[in-house]
Amino acid sequence: MAICTFYTVQSLNSISTPTNTHLGFHQKQLLFYSTSKKSSRRQSTTATITCSAENKTVVIGLAADSGCGKSTFMRRLTSVFGGAAEPPKGGNPDSNTLISDMTTVICLDDYHSLDRTGRKKKGVTALDPRANNFDLMYEQVKALKSGIAVEKPIYNHVTGLLDPPELTKPPKILVIEGLHPMYDERVRDLLDFSIYLDISNEVKFAWKIQRDMAERGHSLESIKASIEARKPDFDAYIDPQKQYADAVIEVLPTQLIPDDNEGKVLRVRLIMKEGVKYFNPVYLFDEGSTIGWIPCGRKLTCSYPGIKFSYSPDTYYGNEVSVLEMDGQFDRLDELIYVESHLSNISTKFYGEVTQQMLKHADFPGSNNGTGLFQTIVGLKIRDLYEQLIASKVGAPLEATRS
Amino acid sequence: MASLITASLIQTRSGSVDGLKASGGWMGKEKAKVVGVKAATTMGGGGGGRGGAKYKGTQMREKKLTKMIEEKVKEAKQVCEGDERSDECKVAWDEVEEVSQAKAHLRLKLLHKQDPLESFCQDNPDTDECLIYED
Repeated sequence: MAICTFYTVQSLNSISTPTNTHLGFHQKQLLFYSTSKKSSRRQSTTATITCSAENKTVVIGLAADSGCGKSTFMRRLTSVFGGAAEPPKGGNPDSNTLISDMTTVICLDDYHSLDRTGRKKKGVTALDPRANNFDLMYEQVKALKSGIAVEKPIYNHVTGLLDPPELTKPPKILVIEGLHPMYDERVRDLLDFSIYLDISNEVKFAWKIQRDMAERGHSLESIKASIEARKPDFDAYIDPQKQYADAVIEVLPTQLIPDDNEGKVLRVRLIMKEGVKYFNPVYLFDEGSTIGWIPCGRKLTCSYPGIKFSYSPDTYYGNEVSVLEMDGQFDRLDELIYVESHLSNISTKFYGEVTQQMLKHADFPGSNNGTGLFQTIVGLKIRDLYEQLIASKVGAPLEATRS
Repeated sequence: MASLITASLIQTRSGSVDGLKASGGWMGKEKAKVVGVKAATTMGGGGGGRGGAKYKGTQMREKKLTKMIEEKVKEAKQVCEGDERSDECKVAWDEVEEVSQAKAHLRLKLLHKQDPLESFCQDNPDTDECLIYED
């Protein structure tokens, strides 16, 4: 992959240096120099083409409240691009960063301006913007995007301290994950694509119970109290980022089971913004129409409570969106294939790719419902966006001007 | 809603195996992985190959996080007795969340046999932290 910029300089047999320098790895310069041999008043033209490979990094923002790097979404996303993401080798074992061939995932907690003690003193939670250094976040994401490595701080979640920084090199795809990827406008403008994971209160409660009930210190009350206490800051600072996201994955309790309280079966909505460059929303049957679909019937037998899809255009915080929704669970492989074959614009490279990705990670949470399905699809859409972005930069024609 | 969830989980409190199976997301066929989880929670970190801590340093970290959760929950309850809506109360529960997340994060890593000290211990096998924790 090479990104080339083209300068023309008109001069008499001389070559002047380009006014911009490109920072990044693998720089090559090609000089074309032609002069007219006839004596004439015409000047010779020098065209200088500077090619920098890996000059631009694609930046994806993911807003989630589940802590960094362990989120299933992150693992599915890096898997779509190939390989598993791992912590940097030989560095701080408490690093939050994950690196794979193509992607680097940065945890935005690393930009805390206040450590645990500092936050306690000031009386601010980690959700509060006052606990985060957005200037540094902006500078470093901007640098990485331009192909410059940075010394990024590490926030140690075990000790609650800020550890010495780690060298972070610009990857092909940079994912910034955490509570505030879209909070600061400057950072927002650096994002090529953004996702917000919106978990409803009931589901959040159910998931935190699953996560924490086995811990000695916790009880139903403590889990509930923790969610309640964080809610005001969450609603004030985190939730409003939804309006800026290109895609929102909303997770709600099912509507298929009347009075369901167990939160096992989920209703998941993929809310996709219209008009985003290089992003064509997924649809069912026909774009822009409204459709409800129950795949279970004669061709496909599903067990209770079955599967229900819907697709429709809508508005979301003033934006035109398309919403694809799945309620229920997959029980068998053939259900998944059947559903996949009826979805359009899923950016797969071959038939059954979504199913294959889901099966690859059958042990991940959400593998049998809309969360896994939509996370996988968003991963494929991001791959598609990435490839289009890169192609658009290389595709610019390189021609020397005529003298 | 809370009471029904309690009912379905109380029976499984001793091991989060069934809790996870019941969660919205596991294809019930993955029994092998489920055994790993049980090992991690009931054995409290013993046995490297079964989802427990491989190195002493990690085992110590696990214990530390468990203790911190207990302490910080106690602290939060105390702090919030005065005023539930005070900043101190919010911060106290936020700390509980932070440490709970960290513990869950570690648990998940160990479940996937990714001891966070793996890389460090390859390079520094003789440190105290890198003693291999045997059953």
